[in-house]
Amino acid sequence: MGDGIINAYSDMENRMTATAPTIRVRNLSKSFGAAEVLKDISVDFQEGTVTSLLGASGSGKSTFLRCLNYLEIPSAGEILIEGVPIGATVCNGTRKLHSPSEVARMRMKLGMVFQSFNLWPHMTVLGNVIEAPMRVLGLPRKEAVEIGRQFLAKVNLTDKESAYPARLSGGQQQRVAIARALAMQPKVMLFDEATSALDPELTGEVLEVMRGLAAEGTTMIVVTHEMRFAREVSDRVLFLHGGAIEEEGPPEQIFGSPKSERCRRFVSTVMN
Amino acid sequence: MLDRLKDSLDLSVFWEYRVILLSGFGQNLSIFLLAGILATAIAFLIGAARLNRNWFIRTGALGYSEFFRNTPEYVLLVWVYYIMPILLTNLLKTRFDLSPYAAAVLALGVAYSGFMAETVRAGLLSVPKGHVEAALALGMSRRAILFRIVMPQAVRRMLPEALNQYVSLFKATSIVSLIAVEDIMYRVSMVNVDQMRPLPLYTGAALFYCLIIITASQIIQRLTNGWRVRGWA
Repeated sequence: MGDGIINAYSDMENRMTATAPTIRVRNLSKSFGAAEVLKDISVDFQEGTVTSLLGASGSGKSTFLRCLNYLEIPSAGEILIEGVPIGATVCNGTRKLHSPSEVARMRMKLGMVFQSFNLWPHMTVLGNVIEAPMRVLGLPRKEAVEIGRQFLAKVNLTDKESAYPARLSGGQQQRVAIARALAMQPKVMLFDEATSALDPELTGEVLEVMRGLAAEGTTMIVVTHEMRFAREVSDRVLFLHGGAIEEEGPPEQIFGSPKSERCRRFVSTVMN
Repeated sequence: MLDRLKDSLDLSVFWEYRVILLSGFGQNLSIFLLAGILATAIAFLIGAARLNRNWFIRTGALGYSEFFRNTPEYVLLVWVYYIMPILLTNLLKTRFDLSPYAAAVLALGVAYSGFMAETVRAGLLSVPKGHVEAALALGMSRRAILFRIVMPQAVRRMLPEALNQYVSLFKATSIVSLIAVEDIMYRVSMVNVDQMRPLPLYTGAALFYCLIIITASQIIQRLTNGWRVRGWA
């Protein structure tokens, strides 16, 4: 009873203080059947920071990212976006799942970019970008088009607005996907191996856009295999192993003098 | 022999009775349209139910489409026209009657809904999961995702296969004379009783069906080609 009141107070405090983390993850676990993919992860992401998630395949980094916007439903734990829970409310140890429309409203705050672009092939480039601002935010077409063009300019694709995705290169498609996510003006951008499906000569143009966003102070969480990007752009690196955060720290530490043996081995393997 | 052949290709008798025959064809056309709409509507319900999370709904829908895919249209037609009214009359304790026309629409509609449900299911499955996830991640509602993202793509993928089934349905309307719908085949046999010239009459009917279907398919293919050019389908 007393605990409940104290929790309620600290919740309220979280919501009110400006320094509340943009995303707060508490005791997040995820299992697929008997396989435990994420194990009791707690971590905060601060506004304006770029965090890279590294780890071998199967370490749970993509699943972690997909749990943040509830594309995967966590088995346990809590995720708060600017102090407000997404997907489920934990009260006195029991979890109550939110309705699909409540989850949708929270998802608007998180932009996501996928490995396989996932552009809608039956819509033009501009159509892809303005769809959510019109259907979700309810903007009139004219206003949505204005915003859409602004973000297409940002990813250097102004001249492609009336093309269909099938006519674009992989790099161009991924830049459209970034513009589509940005057009909702999310608080945080999530990148799930955004360059892994691209030919090597096309990764540069996408990474360049991502660097630009980071330089503008966009809050970003990036699952990546691009070690140079992680090293040069991130403020913080999380190294995942077996569904848990094995090591975290600034890139200089992770790449220079990692504390854990596994992290040291991973870094030395991928850097060579 | 040659005379027979010549006679069968002499379609003047067909032309002579064009008004009667065409009005019969009007019956085929309207039965085709109504049965097509019925089949399509049921197909969307059953096709979507085939992908439902609930095991009972999924299995029920599978049973439905398997039953109607594997039962001949002719048997269904006879069953709906002769048997169903008797059953319903006994069940409802009131006299239940079905016109041949309504029975034809109902029987052909459900017969083809089974095939089309499978086409709908395949079309829905052909939309990559990632396209839905991208929409979810942007905060779109399930309804908006269904109507803006899934359906437009699924329908385009379904069209070539659905077109085949509409052609089959159209051809199947030629059996409705068996329950005394006054369609083109019914009229052909009536004229034949009068004129005793089966060769040109039945050959004419065959050519007529063939011509109509080829023309309609061509028009639809022209329309859908435009989509392929744009990289939609």
